[in-house]
Amino acid sequence: MIGNQLALIKRELWEHRSIYVTPVAVASIVTLGSLAMLMLAGGFAKELDIAIFGATNIAGDAERQVVLTGYFIGTSGVFLLAATVLTVFYTLDSLYAERRDKSILFWRSMPVTDAEAVIAKLVTAIVVIPLVTVAVVIVTHLVNLVITSIWFSVKGADAGHLIWGSVPLLDNWTAALIVTLASAIWMSPFVGWFLFVSSVTKRSPLLMAFMPLVLIPLLELIFFRSSLFADAVFGRNGMIPLFRGMDMEAFFDEESMHISEGAVSLLAHLDVVRFLTSPSMWGGVIVCALFVMAAIYLRRYRDES
Amino acid sequence: MTSVVSARGVSKHFGAVRAVDEVSFEIEQGKILGLIGPNGAGKTTLLKAVLGLTDCDGELSVLGLDPFKQRKELLKNICFIADVAVLPRWIKVTQLLEFVESVHPNFSRKRAEGFLSQTKVRSDAKVRELSKGMVVQLHLSIIMAIDAKLLVLDEPTLGLDIIFRKEFYSNLLNDYFDEKRTILITTHQVEEIENLLTDIMFINDGKILLDSPMEAIADSYVELTTSGEDAIKARGLGPIAEHEMFGKSVLLFEGVSRENLGGLGELRTPSVADLFVAKVKGARK
Repeated sequence: MIGNQLALIKRELWEHRSIYVTPVAVASIVTLGSLAMLMLAGGFAKELDIAIFGATNIAGDAERQVVLTGYFIGTSGVFLLAATVLTVFYTLDSLYAERRDKSILFWRSMPVTDAEAVIAKLVTAIVVIPLVTVAVVIVTHLVNLVITSIWFSVKGADAGHLIWGSVPLLDNWTAALIVTLASAIWMSPFVGWFLFVSSVTKRSPLLMAFMPLVLIPLLELIFFRSSLFADAVFGRNGMIPLFRGMDMEAFFDEESMHISEGAVSLLAHLDVVRFLTSPSMWGGVIVCALFVMAAIYLRRYRDES
Repeated sequence: MTSVVSARGVSKHFGAVRAVDEVSFEIEQGKILGLIGPNGAGKTTLLKAVLGLTDCDGELSVLGLDPFKQRKELLKNICFIADVAVLPRWIKVTQLLEFVESVHPNFSRKRAEGFLSQTKVRSDAKVRELSKGMVVQLHLSIIMAIDAKLLVLDEPTLGLDIIFRKEFYSNLLNDYFDEKRTILITTHQVEEIENLLTDIMFINDGKILLDSPMEAIADSYVELTTSGEDAIKARGLGPIAEHEMFGKSVLLFEGVSRENLGGLGELRTPSVADLFVAKVKGARK
């Protein structure tokens, strides 16, 4: 079972190279952007360009921590957004492409159950894509921090203290991993829905997946004057029960730059127990499971000839 | 003899259409059975039921297993080539071998690579870069490297030129088939495979018209080419089919001894194709 899963997941990575090409492309853009900023900053006066990155203590430790933490959150956010778009396209294609090119008959000639095949696609969407994304995020951060350190050292600043000793890197990367995986689980009803549409539709899975998401709220609004469906579907992303009360405005407010060194750990702002005990999270997982079971049923019972 | 496939009253309905209708048969180990039928006769549906790809009514047992309920277990000992185009076009040959090796306990990668080395299929090529014939060679190399008890071939050489078709069956017989294996095959090009079949089954409108060992065909059926008075006499013996060829009458008899027909014209064993046409036309009357 495990051996089959690994082989099937590997197969997904062969077929859908975008799973690693997309984050690497984003990483290239982020790195090029960082380089461009460094070069741009190099054009200013020495004091100013170093100050922009908080490289000197002109700005102070707290400001530099905020800049670096902002960089962590900002870049991770770009990766998370890319991973979201990637997951939508991957899941919509995963059970549709094998029917379109008729390779489903070959895959089904192997001693692999339909449940194993569909679950491998689910695991790819909810576990593999987040893991690949976070791995690339970490490598990107490392590359960018090394480049920045070299630049600082050339300018005569102490990169070890100013960059590497400034923020709890491991904490922040662990936080990135938790946020990415938790987001995937939180949004799993959509993953299930997309897999289901991918297994059922004969054409245009993207259109078929989003049409009901647009039409149902419209019909609900017209006939019931309510927006329960739209709130549940479109509002879900902002309701993830993972963060402790964190005042983002205060966090980035330059006027009240009050954060002490220990408080910059992003991990400290996550409440994993709250997430794991959230009825909304488990409700979503159940919805996802129902859609996945329907997709397995369709793959098993529908005649593809 | 061990029974590899056993069917008792197997049916499959699609709404009001009976694709397979109360079919019963046995396939024994070491046989090469040709399943012959016109388009829409129910061949593919029956094969799918045997492979566990579709459920059906009645009792169907393949290698002692319920094919639909125990499909994963079954597919460890059963292989099929359903059509030439089913290999995924995006995959590389090496990836394909690696995948099958990972999921199939009875697959020998070394054996598959041995077969492939005799072809022009490059191991670093993607399937989409291969010609149709090479894709079939690749598929066959994989299938032949699986130590399976039953091989099911559904129109395996469709769209291939004659050289590839001949090679396909020659490889299958020389490098794969032995008395422990069983092959179930459907094709429209029946004349190309009739020499390698041990048994034959005709299916039409979901029903079996003929289920016989090949050697029994010569005992049961005889074709008489005749004309004039002899043709009139022969018609009196109740042929199951008749057609004209080069001004002569060709009559097909079932269960009429050659001694009774000997003096009436030229006798020969009918080809599978002729027998098939006669049986299908007879069933439609």
